[in-house]
Amino acid sequence: MTRLQLFGLAVATAFVFTGTAHATGDKANGRTLVYTCNGCHGIPGTNNAYPQYPVPKIAGQNQQYIISALHEYKSGDRTHPTMMAQAQSLSDQEIEDIAAYLSSISPK
Amino acid sequence: MKRALTLFSFGIALAFASAPLLASGNADNGKTKAATCVACHGADGNAVDPQYPRLAGQYNEYIQQALHEYKDGRRNNTVMKTQVANLSDQDIEDIAAYFSAMPTKLDTLKGHVQGD
Repeated sequence: MTRLQLFGLAVATAFVFTGTAHATGDKANGRTLVYTCNGCHGIPGTNNAYPQYPVPKIAGQNQQYIISALHEYKSGDRTHPTMMAQAQSLSDQEIEDIAAYLSSISPK
Repeated sequence: MKRALTLFSFGIALAFASAPLLASGNADNGKTKAATCVACHGADGNAVDPQYPRLAGQYNEYIQQALHEYKDGRRNNTVMKTQVANLSDQDIEDIAAYFSAMPTKLDTLKGHVQGD
């Protein structure tokens, strides 16, 4: 096998693993992690946090969107101070776990 | 005087920043204005492609807030920035009224955390 072929194989393998990672959030761990989110996102109604902000419903939201949103807070593409701080404390895997759990919830 | 003026402008800025979003949009007009939105967010407000958020039954004020943030750059998202560029405040209120009134699959976290 040439060096180039080896390189190709390595790249392909990397893609396969990256692809898999997206689908493997751990719901049970996500359920534990969202304990913190509950402080704001667990209160029905919208005017509950300082600075005053209409906090969204996040249970039942789509998985990939939650992942994107948290990464946008982490990178600064979204600028809400509390959410930036929260997202910066989360690893990529924890974000996957939270998204897996939140997207699996049906309203009670 | 200069300090007073500076303080005054801070006061005005704060007043605007904390102006409450009112849920006074017109959902019927919102339906017409949301014609583009449904391509990604779904005719029933529940996006099929999981990369887009469900809007059906989301809080009215939050939808308005998010649209304003995309418009003024507090959220930097290429697709949404283009979409909201030409929306007036009234358009945003109407669109929020339309989506927030739809039957929802969303919920708050109440009752969904460890120990509940």
